[in-house]
Amino acid sequence: MAVAVGNSIQKTSVIISVFSTSPGIGKTVVAINLAAGLAKEGYKVCLADLDLQFGDVLNYLKLTSTHTIAGAQRALLDNPETFRIRDFLIDYNLGDLSFSIMPAPLYIYDAYQTDVQILSDIIRRMDYFDFVILDLNSMFSALNLAMLDMSTIINYIGVIDFLPALKNYKIGYDTLLRFEYEESKIRLIENRADSQKLIEGKDVERLLGEPFYHKLPNDYPAVNKSINAGQPLMFAAPDSRLTKSFYDLVGRFTNRQKNIAAPEIQTNGGGFFKKIASFFGF
Amino acid sequence: MAYRVIVIEESPELLEDMVTTLKKSPDFEVSSTYKTANAAMGPAAMFNPNLFLINIDNEETLNKLEAFVDTFQGAYILGTMLQWDPFKAQKALEAGITGCIIKPFSAKEILEYLQLYTIRGKHEPARYISFFSPKGRSGRTTLTALLALLIAEKTGERVALIDADLQFGDLPIFFDAEPKRTVVDATQDIKLLTPMTFAPYFMEIKKGVSLLSSPDRPEYAELVSPENLLEVVMMTGHIFRYVLIDLPAGFNPLSLNLCRISDVVFVTTMLNSGFEIKHVKKTMEMFESQESEGRKVKTVFTRVNPFTEEERQKIAGRLGYPVDVMIPNEYRMISIANSGRLSRGLPADTLLMKTISDMADKVIAGGR
Repeated sequence: MAVAVGNSIQKTSVIISVFSTSPGIGKTVVAINLAAGLAKEGYKVCLADLDLQFGDVLNYLKLTSTHTIAGAQRALLDNPETFRIRDFLIDYNLGDLSFSIMPAPLYIYDAYQTDVQILSDIIRRMDYFDFVILDLNSMFSALNLAMLDMSTIINYIGVIDFLPALKNYKIGYDTLLRFEYEESKIRLIENRADSQKLIEGKDVERLLGEPFYHKLPNDYPAVNKSINAGQPLMFAAPDSRLTKSFYDLVGRFTNRQKNIAAPEIQTNGGGFFKKIASFFGF
Repeated sequence: MAYRVIVIEESPELLEDMVTTLKKSPDFEVSSTYKTANAAMGPAAMFNPNLFLINIDNEETLNKLEAFVDTFQGAYILGTMLQWDPFKAQKALEAGITGCIIKPFSAKEILEYLQLYTIRGKHEPARYISFFSPKGRSGRTTLTALLALLIAEKTGERVALIDADLQFGDLPIFFDAEPKRTVVDATQDIKLLTPMTFAPYFMEIKKGVSLLSSPDRPEYAELVSPENLLEVVMMTGHIFRYVLIDLPAGFNPLSLNLCRISDVVFVTTMLNSGFEIKHVKKTMEMFESQESEGRKVKTVFTRVNPFTEEERQKIAGRLGYPVDVMIPNEYRMISIANSGRLSRGLPADTLLMKTISDMADKVIAGGR
């Protein structure tokens, strides 16, 4: 079941976390494209980079900012009465797309000084957004657990191309269930689902005892292009299968009506050149 | 041939116990006894002893050990303690003694300890080598494992692998190992352990290389206190000459603690989006802001392509720090790690293995 947010329900945002138990498997790319997709549909969206030590959200969007969550923490501690969350956000704007970002601290020392309670409070103050997307890191840390508690939906991302990664995906899922997160809240998302690999998706689903909620196809050139351009996939690689898959995923979160004009879907008549072209992401 | 033993002990009761124990055993003959190391220094040589039992609870004796080791080269020297004290034991090892033993002990235990400390390798302090990565997915664990195998092979000394990536450690799966005891058990028991009772917590994965495994449930990581883990790592250095520590990604109290006691810290990174260089720069700056870390922190880049000196200069230029080690790509690596057969290693003639072999040589050669 996807979660619907009618415009009548205000003052509480849907918090969607992007979590994994292996690093480097595309969490930030997923978080950025979820934020962009939801914003594109007219929702007010904030993307918080909670990989505090080594966050990549700004890097992947070619942004720089002196506003960070560390600054927000200091301000909230110093002047709780005058604190306004929007003073610490920056906006990503491209064409008619716009969403807000809460950047990670600039320095590791600042990341080290953050406090889970205060950060939770900061995220709670984002309640004027329709959606808050949390880009987490790959650990069961106090911060991540607090964020998973607050989340409406946990996107648990895995790339099943490597045995240790599969082990960590399984262990992480079992741990989430042991920590009594409702199964319905956890969405298993396979990233790079159709890349060449030794381990079959269906074997993984058998091991987990649960099917994947969504499978994102592999399109390395498109992701590369998106990161190099500092643009979400819908701009950098509009024709990519991955872009289409993100569109579908966002639709499941918003209960989008099927009849809303979807981006052009490539049918099998594409021809050799078009296939090659989309493979290389141009 | 029985050991000719000199006992140095100031407590008359403890001394009498020890002498009685030794006299009952055919493996030992007591040549002489002294109250302090100072008193023994001159006369002990007259007995041509080959085993010393020296009370290192005595501060003065502990400070004299280095001179003692110099004078009686070739003899085994066991430091005796009433309780395991990691810092005294460390100091004694740095002075060059054979190792430490807890009082009271049986004759059999002395022999067991002598054996444990002999297979360990040179009677020199352990080398602690930590492997750090900013975000993970850096090739860190693979590199740690391959280096351990190569160091053991080259030196014939004992090498320990400690999987300190407590939530999602991958070393056991790389070696297809199902250890009975883990680093969590070790940290909980450490106050009661001695090198002899601690040794079985390790699982031998190949001749000379043993693994202290990470726990199988991420939440067990919560049970590990950074202080106890530090003691576990320090005691490991009494059983193994090389201690290789696979750290969790990023900075936390545990990884900082272990880096502090390490002789070398390898910051391991795999270039992918390119932003990894930014992360390494932040990492190096963080280490620099920690006092006394200096240049013991080295940068390692894995799967470097093209594998050229020009590329090294390019990375170093963007990083603002030297690229200390550069490791080429080897496509077979993934399938080997996937099959749990890492202990068999790769053919030595691959560029990857040659490069890591050079790195092992440097680790072995680089003293304190």
